[in-house]
Amino acid sequence: MTFRTCCRVAVAIAVVLSSAGSLAAQGDSALSPTYGRVAPAQRGIAIDARMAEDFGLRPGSRVRLSGSPGTFGDTVEVAAVFQRKADPAEVARREYRIRTHLDHLQELLGLDDRVDRFAVGVRAGVPVDSAVARINHVAFGFRAHKSGDVAVQSSRTFRVVERFHRAIGLITVVASAVFLLCLLLLSVEERRRDIAALRLMGISQGTIIRSIVIEAAVVSVIGSIIGAGIGWVSSLIVNAHFQQVYRTPLLFALLTPEIFAFATLTSLVLGIGAGAVAAWRLVRTPPLTLLGR
Amino acid sequence: MSMRTTLALATLRRHPARTMLAVLGIAVAAALLLDMVMLATGMSESFRSLLLTRGYQLRVSPKGTLPFDSEATIDGATAIVQALRANPDIKAVSPSLGTTLALPGQTFPSVFTLGLESDVQGDYVLEAGRDMPVTGDSLSPTAPLPAVVSKSFLVRSGRQLGDTLTVAAGIDAQLRTTARSRLVVLSGEGRFFYVPAETPVMALPLRDVRTLLGAAYRDRMSLAMAESRRGDSVSVEAVRAWIAASQPRVTAISTETAIRQVEERLSYFRQLAFVLGAISLGIGFLLVATLVTLSVNERRGEIAVLRAIGTQKGGVLRQVFLEGLLLSSAGIAGGLLLGIVTARWLNGILRDFPGLPAAFDFFLWSPEAAWKSLALLLISGTLAGLLPAWRAASIPIVRSLREDAVG
Repeated sequence: MTFRTCCRVAVAIAVVLSSAGSLAAQGDSALSPTYGRVAPAQRGIAIDARMAEDFGLRPGSRVRLSGSPGTFGDTVEVAAVFQRKADPAEVARREYRIRTHLDHLQELLGLDDRVDRFAVGVRAGVPVDSAVARINHVAFGFRAHKSGDVAVQSSRTFRVVERFHRAIGLITVVASAVFLLCLLLLSVEERRRDIAALRLMGISQGTIIRSIVIEAAVVSVIGSIIGAGIGWVSSLIVNAHFQQVYRTPLLFALLTPEIFAFATLTSLVLGIGAGAVAAWRLVRTPPLTLLGR
Repeated sequence: MSMRTTLALATLRRHPARTMLAVLGIAVAAALLLDMVMLATGMSESFRSLLLTRGYQLRVSPKGTLPFDSEATIDGATAIVQALRANPDIKAVSPSLGTTLALPGQTFPSVFTLGLESDVQGDYVLEAGRDMPVTGDSLSPTAPLPAVVSKSFLVRSGRQLGDTLTVAAGIDAQLRTTARSRLVVLSGEGRFFYVPAETPVMALPLRDVRTLLGAAYRDRMSLAMAESRRGDSVSVEAVRAWIAASQPRVTAISTETAIRQVEERLSYFRQLAFVLGAISLGIGFLLVATLVTLSVNERRGEIAVLRAIGTQKGGVLRQVFLEGLLLSSAGIAGGLLLGIVTARWLNGILRDFPGLPAAFDFFLWSPEAAWKSLALLLISGTLAGLLPAWRAASIPIVRSLREDAVG
């Protein structure tokens, strides 16, 4: 549980659907800073698409917005509907988001002249580090951070999930590798009689080993391609399911060329290794023993 | 050891490399299944024990919010707490106010602070030093205020118990002044249940935190925890419903509701656990089925001889079935150990999640869940041996003997 310092407020919203018909969407210009201008009598807000869908709101709808539950608050107009960006850190939070003018939110919360944070852009050629150091030198009650550092900190959740996925991936690769090795060893050993017959016909040990290894390699590659196909279809199902559950455009499973190459290479190496070991064991056994004589 | 077991073991020993690989495969599958079951059930259980650490089954937060999920606070806190305490079904109520106080001149500029009533607080356990004064104790307004801090606070600030420092609120960045400040003495070190271990945190008496924050906060709280006199879920739900009906400005959340909401947020992990658990079951099933099938195919002649010398169909079936059971059992025994080791490793990874309470675990050993999952794998493995066992028992004796003799 953390004490969040973002500007989410306990918003009591009473939806008053406009019966006078929809007003034209005001777009982003309606949300531009209002410093130096007199705030309009009826303020505009932007709401996220999920909220618009759930409450049946659209640009022009009127809602009541207050900083604390039980109070009447302001009647505001939905000026725009925005699509939230695909943020993995927020995907499981089923919250609604609204955007207001800064002064409007300050007024609603009774915060006078306070902000949680503000972004600072340095002029071209000014080192960011020195700007941060200078701000922090005079800072009182606040601190400046480089955007990169903030990004690293805020992406920690994502990095933890990534490490977890890698660990799970490693376990499943080990399980699949053992399964693959087992199958290939068994499939080669099942053909003891065929190999004995080839040996009795005078085919050399080297030729038999090569043929078995090539066969194992072909089987591994074909298996990898079929596996990639199954993986691709599974990723479509996984993405469709989780995108619907979390109502996000985020991709949860992705089959990239690198992953395909890794899977194919792993199964190829395992296949060749298992094929070679099994073939070597069989060709060293006398043909008549292989035939059970 | 029965003859049938001896034969089954001899069959498995005949191909040690193959048997070892199969056992290893089942062990990895069993470990994965065990881990996924621990993941699916561990989060809820861990969160439940975290919430019930001090016996409070209900959380009262500002309307429409989860506890400490926003900066919203509840006004008129005294009246609400009094009303709750007046209810005979409620045993104890612990109000708290969370805020960030400035630390002028310290190595880090601010600290997350909890205003609590020490006699009813359920947020920390004292590990060293002295606790905060209980509600009603009078302290001189100029005397240093006793504070309980976390270990991470002491480490990061380089301070020790007994040291004093100044906390402040109402910062004016332009004038470089603070509206209110107070000298505090670090009287005790506490382990805070709901705050991440790496976050420095300080607990101060609730009334003093309110005073520091100014007039706007003189009757506010972020959260109140309530303990129902009777702990059964029906009584807790009745108290929750009463709070919801009598206090329109707050949301009352029971432990069950909180768990449901957290599960909803972490449903991704549960679903991942379900998918991977199903895959591991499938791998275990296929491994046993493949191995026993091939083993039976190899031994058609041997099985035909057994049938020819009078072994009953059921006897052959039971012996082949036993092979699958032995393979699964050996793999599961290895998987149990492997699963516990990998669960610790995976838990270590997930515990790096930012903002996670120190006492929260993702993978929690639950004997009942673990045995259930391993039994499931055992059933799956033995079922996998059923079809090849049935085929082995049903092979035509004469034809198999001739095929084996002719080759």
